[in-house]
Formats: sequence, structure tokens, C-alpha cells
Amino acid sequence: MSGPSVSRRDLLSVGVAIGSTAALGSGADARSYAGKMPWIPGEANAPEPITAGPFQFLTPDEATFLDAAVARLIPADDLGPGAKEAGVTTFLDRQLAGPFGKGSRWYMQGPWKKGESTQGYQSRLSPAELYRAAIKDIDAHCNEKFSGKKFSQLTADQQDQILKDLEQGHLKLKDSEGKTFFTVFLQNTIEGFFSDPIYGGNRDMVGWKLIGFPGARYDYRPYVKQHGKKLNLPPVGLKGRPGWNPNT
Amino acid sequence: MNIFRYGALAAMAFSAGIAGTAAYAADTSYAQLQRGKSLVDAGDCVSCHTVDGGKPFAGGRPIETPFGLIYSPNITPDRETGIGAWSDEEFYNAMHFGTDPKGARLYPAFPYPYYSKLTRSDVDAIRQYLNTLPPVRSAIAVSANNAHRVSGLIWPLNYRFFMRGWDWLFFDPGEFRPNPKKSAEWNRGAYLVEGAAHCGACHTPKNTLGGDENSHLLQGANIQNWFAPQIANDVRSGVGSWSTDDIVEYLKTGRNKFSGATGPMAEVVGNSTSKLPDSDLHAIAVYLKDTPGAAVDAGSKPEQKIFASGKAIFADSCAGCHQANGQGVPQMFPPLAHNANVQSSDPATTIRVILEGAQTVPTSARPTASSMPAYNWKLSDDQIAAVANFVRNSWGNSAPAVSASQVAEMRRQLQANIAQ
Repeated sequence: MSGPSVSRRDLLSVGVAIGSTAALGSGADARSYAGKMPWIPGEANAPEPITAGPFQFLTPDEATFLDAAVARLIPADDLGPGAKEAGVTTFLDRQLAGPFGKGSRWYMQGPWKKGESTQGYQSRLSPAELYRAAIKDIDAHCNEKFSGKKFSQLTADQQDQILKDLEQGHLKLKDSEGKTFFTVFLQNTIEGFFSDPIYGGNRDMVGWKLIGFPGARYDYRPYVKQHGKKLNLPPVGLKGRPGWNPNT
Repeated sequence: MNIFRYGALAAMAFSAGIAGTAAYAADTSYAQLQRGKSLVDAGDCVSCHTVDGGKPFAGGRPIETPFGLIYSPNITPDRETGIGAWSDEEFYNAMHFGTDPKGARLYPAFPYPYYSKLTRSDVDAIRQYLNTLPPVRSAIAVSANNAHRVSGLIWPLNYRFFMRGWDWLFFDPGEFRPNPKKSAEWNRGAYLVEGAAHCGACHTPKNTLGGDENSHLLQGANIQNWFAPQIANDVRSGVGSWSTDDIVEYLKTGRNKFSGATGPMAEVVGNSTSKLPDSDLHAIAVYLKDTPGAAVDAGSKPEQKIFASGKAIFADSCAGCHQANGQGVPQMFPPLAHNANVQSSDPATTIRVILEGAQTVPTSARPTASSMPAYNWKLSDDQIAAVANFVRNSWGNSAPAVSASQVAEMRRQLQANIAQ
């Protein structure tokens, strides 16, 4: 026989999983609407901005590590501020403290088979656990290799080398998988730099200004026929832009 | 004078009672019931006499008044909890004199000052139609003899005898008298507007005790945190720029090229005007176009800083539907340019709609309701004031300034509504 083999135990466990899913699903109810779509005055599916204040998940050491690391992924340069200046560490903190950090929308139980790269996040650790373990491991590695220095105390070149090694899977960590961490961390840094400022990163819409994205606008019809013209539309976030404020 | 007047009123009630008994015989022909239904539609009885999710006409809906909550009674023919046990005479007395079968005064949340204008034969037709409704035994104990359940009315309105004084001051019972100088259509319109349809209940300004200011007939009024706009013939803030056909289209479909019915008016269009025959709608339009409007305060242009931020908010948040030039999309998204309510001196509706959004009413002619989202979470009081000032003073519009504290107060009022 060729091709992947499926054991009887695998089949049985799949059967159990499907059976229990079906049982759960039967509680869901369908609704039908007649006359008009439901609408309630004052109701909005409003996004929840982050709350200001100290870090909610990160320890001071972890925050120092992330400040240094995000500044290497998207450094400040003559094009403008980088990820650190844009508040990406705050973005990461709030994400790790919330449902994303807990992996609360993911299936996080066994069986623990090695997944394919096409299957997305495959770690046994939740993202928050992975960040915590990987940062500890990387700082321990630096401490050993660079005579007592932490990642944040290395030169930019040394930091870049560590990050490259993580990316390529060359750096073996004690309790976490370096490549998995790097993949998630790079993804989250990009998200923090370009997501709406109400989530803590992309402060003053610096990410959007860098690439000329005009923000969450509803309608571009007035501009459709202005081909090749520079529109200079100021970016606008979910909570507006400075031009909306009558007191400035 | 006082006593004399009340005495005269009582005598009228007495004599009307006698005459009615003698002259009246039940007519349950199809034409008569149809006539009654049409008047019940015109009066939008179902809106107030039905609680959310309840059986039609079975009452129990809390009616907000500036003086407290009043619960509507069951007007189905159930003999114990409805009005089935009322004689036609008693029904007429309620409609014409605002009294219940025991002679107690009803509160004018029940618009008897308008229904008093109806002819006896129309009131009888209404009664005969109501008699055909399935009787509903209402769970909420609204006694037939004490038709209004009242909660939290402020002193002295919690005393029904006080209502005698109110009636004496503000209520003249009496049928509509046609104006022989006007056309039959005009008179039909006047009869509907001033009678069954009781348009002035919302659109005519009230004095501090809730009586109509008849010198400002249909010139717009604030009612429960809405501004019911002027529907008299003023160009800027009334229906002066609407043709009679525009008015008919609005009342029939809920929309026209100038506006879309939202808030309480959406309910009126859905339950009432969209069901009226075109001839009645046209008559109403003819009458409204002939009702003299009042020019209202045009204010002055807001200061540059406020105007500029309002313009920015409008461009980013509003122009998608209402268009950069304020023209909207006819029959879909109301234009704000030359919009009567937007330019009313009282900005209540404008502020409210920006805060909590709005939905137009689906009618058989326009079955897809258009909705505007709420901006209460997105914009601060300052910002809402700025964008309100911008739309009230752009594209040829002009209206007095809106302040952030007016927005804050409306926000508070709407929160209080939810809490209730």
C-alpha cells in the first residue's frame, strides 16, 4: 500500500470528534426576519479600543526584549518612525493579554502530531505561553553566548544574526521552537505596525503614512476618475484623524 | 365665566347623548366597515394601542409624555379588559369630549382634542370597525372604566379632576366646520389633518401644559427628544419646496427625493399614511401647502475652526451616502442640502440621528429600509456639534449653531431612555 496510512485509532478519534461537534451544533438556532432587517437605535458593533495604562501581560524584561526586537524588524530610518516608536510593543502586550494570547479561538488540545507548514500555528503552547518561553530562552542563549548580555544589550548586527537564525530554524531553544516563535512574532509586528491605532500600534498612523494608505474610508467615488494624480488624502482611523478635532 | 363654560360643556355632552341614542342605528355593511377602517388607519390608533410584540389594539404601550408615562388601554371589543361593554354613546363621549363612561377626564395623550373634530357618523364607523376586531383579553389590567393606567405623572396632572381645568383652557369640543371658501379637497385635507390624523399632536408647538399653540399651527415642535419639523408651507424649514405630489409620495412610500421617514414618523407612515387612499393623501398635501409657514431663525455661520473640523468629519464619515455635495441619493439616502429638518432652529432630530443612527420605514412601494449607523461611539460631543454645524450651514443651508453641551444633553437623555 502506498500513500499516507490511517490507523484505526485515528479514524475512531475523528469519529468521536465529529459526533461531539454535531451534538454541540444542534443547539444553534436559525432566525428569520420579515418586513425589515432588525435595527436598534444607538446600537453599533463598535470596535473596542485598548485601555491606556501599564502593560497587562508583559514583564518589564519582556517589554525591553520586544522593544529591541521589533526595532530590528521595522527599524526607524529616514523614511520615518519604526515599530518601536509606533507602539507595537503595547499592541503585542494587549493582544497577548487577550483572546489571541490564549489562543481562545483555536483548537488547543491533542493529539500532538507534527503539523505541516501549510497547517498554520501548530505549537502546543498558546501564543502568550510561546512568547514568554521563547523570550526567556533567547535571553538565556544570549547570556551564554555574549557573556552575560541580554538580547536588548547586543549590537544591531548581533541582534539581526539571532533573528535570522531563529527565522531559518538554526537556533535551538530550550522550551520553545525558535522558528515558530519568529513566524508568529514577525506576523504580529506587521499587524501592530499597520492595524488601526485604537489597538495600540500604528501610533499617529505612521504605518499608513509610510505606505500612503488613506485609512478606513467608505467611498472613493469622487476620486475614481483622477487617474495618476496624487490625492494626498490624510489617513483616517476608526476613531477619526486629527482634522476632526474642533479644538486643535 | 369658568363655571359657566364648564356648565355649557356638560350640557352639550348631555344633549349629544340624548340625540345620539335616538338617531343611531348600527350599520355593519362592508362600505361602512371599510370607512371605519380607513379612519382607524388615518388615526394611527394601532401604534399607541399596541404594546411591542403584543396583539394589535390590545393596548398596554407606555406613552411618554413630558409629564410622565401613560399606558394605552385595550380597544378591542373584549367586554372586561377592552371596550366591548361600552355603549356607542360612551365611545362617542370618549372621542368627542375626552371622558370615560364614568365621566372621568381622559388624558390628552389620547388626542381627543383632535378626534372631537370627527363627525358623529365617522365616530360610529370607527366603533363599528373596532367591533369587528377579535376581542383580546389583555394581561395588563386596563380597566374599561378607567381607561388610562398612569405611572409617575407629575403633580398636579396625577389628579384627573385637574384635567377639567386643562380641558377648559385648551379644549373646545366640536365637529370640524368646513371652510366654504376653500375647495372640497382642501376641506377633506383639513378634516383629516386637524381631526383623525392628529398631525398637530406632534407638529404643532405646545405650551408648558401641553396644549397646542394654535397660532403656530404645524410649525414644528420638540417632542420626546425628536424635533417634529414644520409641515406648514415655509420654504427653508417646512414643506414649501415640496410639491403636493412630493408630499403624497412621502406619506405613501415613506420617502421622496427630499427626505425619508424615521423615528416616530416611520411608525406613522408604516401604520397609517401608507394605507390611506391616494385621494386622502392628496387632500392632506393640498391643505398643508395652504397652511402658512413661519420663517425660522437662520443663525449665523459657525466659526472657521468648527466648520473645518465638521467638514472633515462629513467628508470621511457621511459623504459615502449623503454625497460630498449633500445631495444624497434620491428615495434612498436623504439629501441634507435644503433639508427642512436639518435647518430647523431646534437641532434635536439632527443631533439624535447622528448619535443613534436611523432607519427608514419599509412600505410596499419601497420595501427596502435604508439604515444609518450610530456614531455615538465614534464621535465626541464636540465632533457631533461640529458636523451638525457643518451640515446645517453648507450647500445653501443655514441654521443656528449647535453646541457640544446640547449634544451631551441629548446623549444623556437617550441613555436615560435605554435605562427605562
